[in-house]
Amino acid sequence: MQFNESSSSLQSEINITPLVDVVLVLLIIFMVVVPLLMEGYDVDIPRASAEASAQLEEKQLILSIGSTDCPLFTPPAEGGIPRDCQVILADQKIPAVELPARVAQFLGGRPAEQRALFLAVDDRLNYEGVLRIIDLAKLGVEDLKIEFIATN
Amino acid sequence: MRLGEPTKIQAAINITPLVDVVLVLLIIFMVMAPQMRKGPDVTLPNTTKPNAQGDERGRILVSIDEAGGLWINDRSVTAESFGETLNAAVGTEPDPRIVIRGDAKLNFLQVRQAMVAIEQAGFRGVGLIAKRAGTEGN
Repeated sequence: MQFNESSSSLQSEINITPLVDVVLVLLIIFMVVVPLLMEGYDVDIPRASAEASAQLEEKQLILSIGSTDCPLFTPPAEGGIPRDCQVILADQKIPAVELPARVAQFLGGRPAEQRALFLAVDDRLNYEGVLRIIDLAKLGVEDLKIEFIATN
Repeated sequence: MRLGEPTKIQAAINITPLVDVVLVLLIIFMVMAPQMRKGPDVTLPNTTKPNAQGDERGRILVSIDEAGGLWINDRSVTAESFGETLNAAVGTEPDPRIVIRGDAKLNFLQVRQAMVAIEQAGFRGVGLIAKRAGTEGN
């Protein structure tokens, strides 16, 4: 498709080679990354043989989530947990919404490897509700270690 | 680049069909990707800030479906044979990492039992899989 016969011939087509490059790279990224994507929370499980972490006993920060103070029996609504949910952190009953601040207050000053939160959770509670509370606690301290302790 | 008048030879390769095919592949992958997961359909819990769970190498997927049934990777297992199957799934993996995909409707009890079973099979930490609120995925 020529428009004139001048010595410098005009190129009238769009150069789509960079577009193809970009699309191919996107395709490869999607093929490789997509099956691998997964997000979640790292937790430790209590050892059945309970010679457990006694070395830190007096410094353990224990968070108890009971079914009477925090009746999360069904998945909570989108975004957060109910306002009336109360949890027990280091023997004090506090509203769950205050968790980020309180956990930061307790653990913020400790060295990173001692930032651990021990969780005692009522078995009847809803799993999503429990994860939301873990999520709240982690908002307070970035590299928080979570360990479940046996409740009964 | 003209070679002669009046029949002109087109020297550039026509890559429009290639682009078409690649774009279609891209769309197929984007659409199919969420369905390529191993294991049963699970409604993952929504949270605000889950951490990335590493890559797929060495990852053993333990799923707990809505009814409380246990799955290892893409096979349903009974509670009795769970430990055995888990060890078989780990095999000789040098750095196994166990993650739990639990349904949002489960009781904590069902998840805790799975964690205890994993602990009894000899593994210490697990990852609890969640999805970032407002995103897709399962």
